[in-house]
Amino acid sequence: MSIEAEHIHMERVYVWEVPVRLSHWLIVVSLLVLSVTGLYIGNPFIPVSGEATQHFVMGTMKSIHFVAAMVFTLSVLWRIVWMFVGNPYARWNEFLPVSKRRLVGIWNTIAFYTFLHRDSPAFVGHNPLAGVVYTVVFGLFAVMIATGFALSAANAHMNAMLSGFQFLIPLCGGLQMARFIHHVGMWLLLGFAAHHFWSAFLVGTVERSSLLDSIFSGYKVLTPDVARRARKHIEED
Amino acid sequence: METAAKPTLVWLEFQDCAGNTESFLRASRPTVAEIILDTLSIDYHETIMAAAGHQAQQSLAEAIERDHGKYIAVIEGSIPSGAGGAYCTIGGRSALEIAQEVCDGAAATVAIGTCAAFGGLPAAAPNPTGAMSVSDAVPGLTNLVNMPACPANGDNLAALIVHYVTFGRLPDLDHLRRPLFAYGKLIHDACEKRSHYDAGQYTEEWGDEGHRHGYCLYKMGCKGPVTYQNCPNIGWNGGTNWPVGCGHPCIGCAEPSFWDRMTPFYRHLPEIPGLGPHASLDKIGLGVTVGVAAAFATHTAVHVARRSLAGARKTASDEENES
Ligand code: HEM
Ligand code: SF4
Repeated sequence: MSIEAEHIHMERVYVWEVPVRLSHWLIVVSLLVLSVTGLYIGNPFIPVSGEATQHFVMGTMKSIHFVAAMVFTLSVLWRIVWMFVGNPYARWNEFLPVSKRRLVGIWNTIAFYTFLHRDSPAFVGHNPLAGVVYTVVFGLFAVMIATGFALSAANAHMNAMLSGFQFLIPLCGGLQMARFIHHVGMWLLLGFAAHHFWSAFLVGTVERSSLLDSIFSGYKVLTPDVARRARKHIEED
Repeated sequence: METAAKPTLVWLEFQDCAGNTESFLRASRPTVAEIILDTLSIDYHETIMAAAGHQAQQSLAEAIERDHGKYIAVIEGSIPSGAGGAYCTIGGRSALEIAQEVCDGAAATVAIGTCAAFGGLPAAAPNPTGAMSVSDAVPGLTNLVNMPACPANGDNLAALIVHYVTFGRLPDLDHLRRPLFAYGKLIHDACEKRSHYDAGQYTEEWGDEGHRHGYCLYKMGCKGPVTYQNCPNIGWNGGTNWPVGCGHPCIGCAEPSFWDRMTPFYRHLPEIPGLGPHASLDKIGLGVTVGVAAAFATHTAVHVARRSLAGARKTASDEENES
């Protein structure tokens, strides 16, 4: 399929499959819910007066946090599985720069972002720098899940399912440390989210690419040249 | 219990404050008097024994030889490994040497208090004496029980001893070798202020309305949600009360490295390394997040400016070409 844009015949390439887009948006929503409820859990800021039995504010926040945590964990796991069964753009080697071409691509991308190069390097899926950043982000997801399950295991009843995660508590350096790491991790992820939102906006508007639309529709609109070149390289990797 | 033979107990103190001894002397269920008269023969305990000096040393030597493999050893305080063990010596021998000898011949060893169980205060950073827990100083003990807390609850120790004497075996232990009957649950899960916690009612300041109403001490830095102990159930001083019950947050004294990890005691989270006690994680986090957003807004502005500049130049040169 091709469409007319700026006098060049652009090609529409199907990049992000449904599971990729779905897990992306589930992670966005659950992360926001987890952050809001988590901020309350860390520093309960809503005044509550009257009989204790009439209220359940912390209890409600923690219940919502837990449900969102399950959505989050399953979405992350699902996305990781898809790194091994999905299309080439969803694969794990789009994240880890294991090929020489993607290593060089990291430098080219940095050069473009720091105004050293005028042209953005062309990649169909993630650009290699973004891939590395997302690797770190998935690492943070794992840290949040590990510390979160350690905290959940702490007050699970002796034989309850969650008590199976008690082995995580010493790995986190104890519960208080787990709390601290969990809290720092949230801010690192929110910092990333701010960066991610803006760069998507930037790339979508300034570079006039279809990147911003692609996470909704799944399609990127690329020049035939880029589409061919990039696709060929992915096949080579 | 009455029919069982009276086993021997020896109690050693190393880098300690005798707080666990004090706590044990206040055991009420059974009382120490009952334990000493009916249950046990306490052959060595520096703080409460009548003998002193060489006489005292001799009673220890005799007890561990006579009842080799049968006696209970209770260790209070951590064991320094620095300077060849010179930081703590008794009768010219290092704590390390004595502990190894006594624990090796014991039927069961109880590390009483956080110092003996996990290193405690003497082992807190920077640990100048190389203080160690019993499990580190005498590795490989299979019959070791850790009873941390600062001090450990005398009633828990009395219960442990009675259990051991009655059934001839140790109670069930967790992965840190703590008896589950006393350390199987978080303080938070048995706390009388828990309904206020779940409701969202917290003490915000010492002596405020909430504090006087007995609201939860979570925002005053309570470590009950991260500490395993049975304080709310068993109480202190004969079950009279316990810290949270009288309005003071739990400081997590029964947890490993509590002096390093649970501080500041009156704050929810530990300090951020290098930023001092008053830096707030949430403020820094918010600052960074807003900072990132602002940096990107600027970046976008640079691009837009560059493009409109380029656009203007292009229009200018087009006009030149036309004329
Ligand atoms: C990236 C997503 C997540 C964010 C942003 C987040 C955020 C937070 C924050 C800020 C706290 C308060 C920490 C404190 O200061 O004490 C918290 C607590 C907690 N979170 Fe998460 N969390 C996330 C994922 C998870 C996951 C996957 C689980 C797993 C079950 C989880 C379970 C918990 C638990 C059990 C607590 C402790 C509640 C308590 O104090 O009793 N969280 N979370
Ligand atoms: S006072 Fe401490 S232990 Fe009790 S409910 Fe509040 S946070 Fe939990």
